Amino acid sequence: MKRWLRHSLLLVCVVLVAAFVASACGDEEEKPAAASPTPRAAGSPTASLAAGVPELADGTLQVGSDIAYAPIEFYEEGTQNPVGLDVDIAKALAKELGVKVEFMNTGFDGLIGALQAKRFDIIMSSMTVTEKRQQEIDFIPYFTAGTGILVQAGNPKNIQSLADLCGKSVAVQLGTIQVDQLDAQNEQCAQKISITTFDQNPLAVEQLRLGRADAVTADYPVAANDARLSQGALEVVGTQFEAAPYGIGLRKDSTALNAALTKALQAIMDNGEYDKILADWNLEAGSIK
Amino acid sequence: MDVFLAIRFDGGAVTEFFFNDVILRGVRNTLEVTILAMLLGTVLGVILAVMRVSHSRPLAGFSAFYVWFIRGTPVLIQLLVVYNGLPQMVGSDAFTHFLTPFRSALITFSLNEAAYMAEIVRAGIQAIEPGQMDAAKSLGMTNLQAMRRVILPQALRVVIPPAGNEFIAMLKNTSVAFVIAFVELTTAARLIYAVNFKVMELLVVASIWYLIMTTAFSVLQAEMEARLTIVERERAIPLTTRVLRALGGGRER
Repeated sequence: MKRWLRHSLLLVCVVLVAAFVASACGDEEEKPAAASPTPRAAGSPTASLAAGVPELADGTLQVGSDIAYAPIEFYEEGTQNPVGLDVDIAKALAKELGVKVEFMNTGFDGLIGALQAKRFDIIMSSMTVTEKRQQEIDFIPYFTAGTGILVQAGNPKNIQSLADLCGKSVAVQLGTIQVDQLDAQNEQCAQKISITTFDQNPLAVEQLRLGRADAVTADYPVAANDARLSQGALEVVGTQFEAAPYGIGLRKDSTALNAALTKALQAIMDNGEYDKILADWNLEAGSIK
Repeated sequence: MDVFLAIRFDGGAVTEFFFNDVILRGVRNTLEVTILAMLLGTVLGVILAVMRVSHSRPLAGFSAFYVWFIRGTPVLIQLLVVYNGLPQMVGSDAFTHFLTPFRSALITFSLNEAAYMAEIVRAGIQAIEPGQMDAAKSLGMTNLQAMRRVILPQALRVVIPPAGNEFIAMLKNTSVAFVIAFVELTTAARLIYAVNFKVMELLVVASIWYLIMTTAFSVLQAEMEARLTIVERERAIPLTTRVLRALGGGRER
């Protein structure tokens, strides 16, 4: 009995070590190729865009993103493969620039700090352009989205607008523009909105499903996607509120990169790539063309 | 200063936010959940430890299983299970609303702490000579009476230093409760820097508060240890020396 026990414990250890080694090997191959279209050969019409841009000297456009905001950016289910609107646009831009693109997952509230600390070159993370953020970083607008209000199916609390949230409880993601909107709305509420902030949008949505929150506010495309994935448990109220542009975030001193990306964005708008990507994600309504 | 450090660090923001309402609420919440969870966790831990050393196999087995399970899973997952998982299993609105972030954090940290305290108390009990138990029984005490009146009071001396360690570790570990939107000190700092982007400044504010709290509890621990010391001369050691020793300094003796 004792011997048998010792042998099986040894087996468990061996399995654990083997699993660890196998995953460590796996890591190596997935790092450089997080999401990379083949780099354009030199001599392509726009490859010169990347010339003289210090951030792109390493041949890679590094993108900081909080990859948990479907359908704008999320991991393909069960993989570490980032997909979504932002990912496709970033790939298209990188193709124009003749560089590879690498997505780096970072919590939303840490994105601007990490950009300033040069952890990556740009932010593409459904980030709405706001005055406050513009004091910290520069933006290139590329899409527009408003706020959607997500409620339980049948809208039991009869919420039709941001004002209807007064006196209700709302779950929302930390650091998003929706927190600012709710704070601003609260100033006008006789009965305050009880706001609970979560690290990630899915954790906020969970509170709505549980009935702990009466509503979740998020960017409209995301709220719509949450409703779709809930298989009838949740729905989005009416239309979107306070539509505003998403921007590619850049450090204020990244002027060359800013110019190159602006040209690349114009190029994909001109050649139809931009429209095609928006159509792929059913997000044509957010076009800024 | 900006030039020297080559990063933007706004020292003024540290003083500006040190007594900010949200930060102070975070300090209070951190203290509340830590102290209450330590009390509940200690009570549960003592019960689990006594069960573990008892002669009843089911009781000892349950205690061992509990410690194995709680110590073997991350507290972050335990928080999510209590906060989001339990309401799904129970499926009652009243219960869901009862499980606020604070209560969920308190339940989780208490259950978690109980497992660690059980091991610490067990070590304390086992450090007492078995002869003490025999002596107590020969005086006509039952097992439980002997435990309560003879063994546990002596074990206390052995238990205090690692328990103090646990307390201070938990004080900081409560920051994991950000996943269930419990506004303890770290979450409070994050809420503010998410808006004003003064990340480092607010993390410094939070760290200074943590240091103040851990210092206060280290002093308290030193005081408790001194009171429980049997040797008379130890009591005569001045408070400052005992505090220094508790904080990891002062090695003379």
